[in-house]
Order: sequence, then C-alpha cells, then structure tokens
Amino acid sequence: MSAGAKTAWRVTAHFVVHPPPADWRDELANRIGRRPRRVGLWTELAMYGARRCLDTVGEAALPQGARLRVASLRGAWGATHAGLEQLDAGLPMPFTFMQSQPALMLAEVGRCLEWQGDASFMLCRDPQRLLQLSKLGAARDGLLFGIVEEERNDELPRSEWWRLVPD
Amino acid sequence: MSDVYLASFGLACVLGNDMPSALDALRRGGVPPSPVAVAPGIHWPVYALPPQEGDWTQRVRRTVRSVVAQTGEWGGRTAPLFVASSSLDIGSMELEKQDLRLGGDLQDFADVVAAALDWQGPVFTVSTACTSALNAVLAAADLIRCGEADEALVIGAELDNRFTVAGFGAMQLLAPESAQPFGAGRKGLVLGEAVAALRLGSRPARWCLTGGANVVDGRNPSGTEASAVRAMCHAALAQSGLRPEDVDLIKVQAAGSPVNDAIEAEALKQVFDPLPPLVSLKSSLGHTLGAAGAAELALLVGCIEGGAWPSTGYPLDHTLGIALSTEAPAKLRNILLNVVGFGGGHASLMLRDCSA
Repeated sequence: MSAGAKTAWRVTAHFVVHPPPADWRDELANRIGRRPRRVGLWTELAMYGARRCLDTVGEAALPQGARLRVASLRGAWGATHAGLEQLDAGLPMPFTFMQSQPALMLAEVGRCLEWQGDASFMLCRDPQRLLQLSKLGAARDGLLFGIVEEERNDELPRSEWWRLVPD
Repeated sequence: MSDVYLASFGLACVLGNDMPSALDALRRGGVPPSPVAVAPGIHWPVYALPPQEGDWTQRVRRTVRSVVAQTGEWGGRTAPLFVASSSLDIGSMELEKQDLRLGGDLQDFADVVAAALDWQGPVFTVSTACTSALNAVLAAADLIRCGEADEALVIGAELDNRFTVAGFGAMQLLAPESAQPFGAGRKGLVLGEAVAALRLGSRPARWCLTGGANVVDGRNPSGTEASAVRAMCHAALAQSGLRPEDVDLIKVQAAGSPVNDAIEAEALKQVFDPLPPLVSLKSSLGHTLGAAGAAELALLVGCIEGGAWPSTGYPLDHTLGIALSTEAPAKLRNILLNVVGFGGGHASLMLRDCSA
C-alpha cells in the first residue's frame, strides 16, 4: 500500500525546540552513545530533534519503510559561510564543505536512527504543500518530517519534527 | 493511479546547448574538460558549459529558458516545478562581498529559475547531492501517479562555481585529467556543469517511468554502499513488476572512483546474473552532481532516439569483470538508471520504451 492524496494521516509524535536547551549537544551524545564527529551544528541539531521525536513515541529506530523528509531555509548556514571564507583564503576545506551539504545531514540523521531508506532534503515556500508532497506515495511505515534551522544573527535555532503514519 | 511518462526533455552540457549539438559532439568523440582554478596553483578539470556572456545569474536565466524551451510549449506554466541542485546558487554567493553573502535562503535559486521561466505553479527545491534530480523525478512522479498533477517539470542544474570544485578537491575525490568510469587508470571523478529539463506527465508517450527508489545509507557518507545499491535495484525492480533478467540496459553511476566503481560493479553482479549491457555517460558529461539524474536521463534517451552512443576511449579495468556497451543494445525495452551520491544517497529509476 502507498498513500494517495485522500489517505488520512495521524501525528503520532511532535517534538519542537526553539531554541534547544543549553545542554542539548550533551543530551544527544548521551542518547546515541557517541559524540558526533566531523558534522556541523545544523546536522547535530537535526539529529537531536529526530532522535527525540522518535523517543517521544517509543520508537528505537525509524521503521525501514518510513520516509525521512527534512526542510530548512537557512540550511548549514555556518558551515557554508566558513567554507566560503576558506575558499577566499585559498585554504583546503574538506570538513566544512562536507558539513555544508544537506545530503550529509540526511546520512547522519539516518545513521542515528539506525535506518537505511528514502531520505530527502526538500523545500517549498509553502510548508503545507511540502508536507502534502512528502505524504504522497509513502508506505505504511509513514513519514518522519523535520524542519531544522540553524542560528543566524538574531534568528534562533529550531528543530521541529513530526512522526506521521497513514490511518 | 496514473502511469507517468517522460513527454520531452532538454539539455545543456559540455557537449552543447541542445540535444542535436550534444549528439553531434558525442559522435565526434566528445569535448574535453577545462581547467578551473580554485586557489593559486591549484586547478581541477571540469566539463564546463559552453562560455556565455553575462553575470552568473544572467547565465542561469538564459540557460534555463533555453533548456526548458526544448521541452515544448507549456501554456500557463501552472504545473509543479522541481529544481534539483547540489550547489544551488553558491556560484553567485562566492562572487559577493563577504557581508552580503548568505542573507537569503536555500529556496532563492529555485525562485530565480522560476522567475526566469515566469513559472506560476508551486516550486520545490530538492537538494540531496548527486541524487537530487532523480529524487525530484520520484517526487514529481508521486504527484502525477496520485492524480495531484497532470504534468510536472523537473530541472536539474549544476552551474559553475569554485566552492564545489575546491570541496571535492580537498576531499581528494577528483581525477587530475579526465573521467574514466570503470577504467583501468581511473583516479577519481571529474565534475561537470549541466542544466537538464524533464517534462513528465500522465499522457502516454514513448518513455514510461515504471518505478524507482531512493536509499540513503549513512554508514559511508562519501562512498557507495553495496547493500544500498542492491536495495535500490531490488526496489526499482519490484515497483516496476520486473525481474532482473527483464532489464536490457543499466546506466551505471560509475564516476571513476577507484573504490566506489568496484563496489558498484560487484553489487550489480549480485543483483543481475548475468549482467545486462552497461552504459556510462560520465566520461562524456562529467559528474554533474545534482543535475546528474536529469542530465544523464536526457542524454541517454537522446542517444537512443538520435542513434548516437558514448564511446569509452580508455582501457577498462578487467578485474571488475564488466564491459561497457559500444552501441545501443538491439533489444531495449527496460532501462535502469542508477545514481549514487555523496552523503550515502543511492537512487534508481526504471524506464520502459513503450515503442519496443
């Protein structure tokens, strides 16, 4: 079975931090049993929210057939900014370049959810339209949908996640 | 549920700014990469788009308009638009003064593309590194299959920028001269620039998208994971209702990586026994990253329809136990397109030639 436009969905978990608590990185490291290495702040923030969202509903791992969709307007803002500065200076930037890529965030989120599956970074000015698109064609295992924004200037960091399953 | 068809397509790449010129260049043996400087004394080859006048954004607008025009008349332009890219508008940002960079957001590039086309429909960005365009196709296909849209436009775009070249160079993933997928002397990938447009719809056409899959595996973020290659192939076969022996051609990922090419070849042999004919396009296009799924799909279908075929021009690695086809297979109905990307992304698309 895959979900169509008329499939009813229910939210089984919703988790939001805006901003996260001061010790959120330690909390994540304790929860997953390791401190994330060579990943940027944005990716860590995504890992934290996704993991906590599944914990809310008691899922140790994301089911294999579920979809993972992440949206963000600012993305890995800090790593991209740092990478461009390193480019200007003619410096090599293997780690900042990797940290700037949404695909690396998806890989790390999947890894901390002990999951291999259909993950995508997508964006639309209308978040509801994006959520609707994410549901179409999804399998019975449903969807983990997140919006993750890194801090930028006066804008606070945010990690908000929904676990949804078709009825 | 509606079937999903590839109605038309457009392409601008190193080979030319439209399909006829690209196929002509391919028949002449292709176009070599050009050196791109990322720092004093550090150059990497890139399969670049033909030079154009204007600033970065003007070149984007002109190229996108030209490529989408190749897909035919769109009328009110209210269909969903998917803009797939890995680098988005970083090429514009790197030219800005530092304090003017990054004031916008990740949807800005799609907005530029949509404005260039005077597009009125919903606009989505898909950015999953090398699998971006195939993931955009899969999402667009969901909309059409579920009856939420009659048509959709997918644009894969990877434009000139030093940031990506420097980043891949710093990770020691680039070859110093040319791309040699599955080659005995392969030393890494060579990046490419491209803009490709795919017009998808529910109205029957020659090419039907029968299935596909996207499998992200985070265990090896910069490499190919054999279990994910197998998983994406099996999922694309299952969704298409096909068995491995029904596949007549595989468009491989094969970017020229010493390790990843070998993992891909081995994983394919575990799914397909015997292997169907294989074709690689990255020695002609380069690795066009987020555009690759659309650019390689467009060029492959263009080759089949236009009677052209990419030549290899370098010795293959016989230890891999594979061959690349030197012409289109005589029997050609079901085609599997595979793209594997940075970040552990693995995506497949199954295409059926309804005229075969």
